[in-house]
Amino acid sequence: MKDVSTLALAQARQDQFGRRVAARLDTAAAELPRDITERLRAAREQALARRKAPALQPTRTVSAAGNGQAALRGPDRIRLWQRVALALPLVALVAGLVAIQVVQDDRRAREVAEVDADLLTDDLPPAAYADPGFVQFLKSSL
Amino acid sequence: MATERELSDFLKSVEKRAFKRSVYHVRDEEAALDIVQESMMKLAEHYGDKPAAEFPMLFQRILSNCTLDWFRRQKTRNALFSNLSDFESASDDGDFDLLETYAALEGSQQSESAEDASRRAEVLREIEAQVKALPPRQREAFLMRYWEDMDVAETAAAMGCSEGSVKTHCSRAVQALSKALKAKGLQP
Repeated sequence: MKDVSTLALAQARQDQFGRRVAARLDTAAAELPRDITERLRAAREQALARRKAPALQPTRTVSAAGNGQAALRGPDRIRLWQRVALALPLVALVAGLVAIQVVQDDRRAREVAEVDADLLTDDLPPAAYADPGFVQFLKSSL
Repeated sequence: MATERELSDFLKSVEKRAFKRSVYHVRDEEAALDIVQESMMKLAEHYGDKPAAEFPMLFQRILSNCTLDWFRRQKTRNALFSNLSDFESASDDGDFDLLETYAALEGSQQSESAEDASRRAEVLREIEAQVKALPPRQREAFLMRYWEDMDVAETAAAMGCSEGSVKTHCSRAVQALSKALKAKGLQP
């Protein structure tokens, strides 16, 4: 029993000593030079500027207009526009590819049509190209 | 959820002590300022939305980690941090009796009010020197326990060690400080 009380007394004295030292250190902290306190203040303000804001509760509200129409307000509406804005470049890319395809098809069709027109309007009948003798004549004359 | 004002008030209440503690650890005012600033930033950035009651523990932990990171960076940068005496445990003082020492100090407390400013400054200088001279873990435990006014369990949680270790560190720190001050004829 005596040991327990002695230990408790020792602990109390230790704590008392510790607090007295801490009180002395408090005066040291209170007497910091002005430039240090100013820099600490600046650091604090900088930290506060980067403070993590508390997570906002989503405020999804549906407001009913007089004529029965309902409109989404708040974060959902913003999110919808953000999605639309994100999809715009993709839509532009697809539209560009389709336009290129259409132009190329058109050009190819025009080239084929020109060849067909030349063949049909030529003095030589198209059937001549199917004649083996004429083909042989063309080969030998080249 | 803490408000910005609560966070600001908290940082204001701890910044000077945090700076001094860092100075005791790293012994470089510029580095100490960097450590405190980094700790404040981390607290605000990552835990700014936590309840204000959690700030003290979180900040102590962050400050300890930032200080440790600073030592690691120093070590890798120039390998200068090799002062092995910092890691040595306090020597066993078999014949030292805290009760006796403290009782003797207490007896002369009455004269403290008569001390002049230079005497107080001398005591403060000596206390700071002795705190700096403590082994890092003892110093950390002592300052958290008595200066930050954390209880044993909180100190243990912030230091990542057992409550028994905190008690041992604190006891040894008090003995070392008490002995050093007594040797110089000073009292806290």
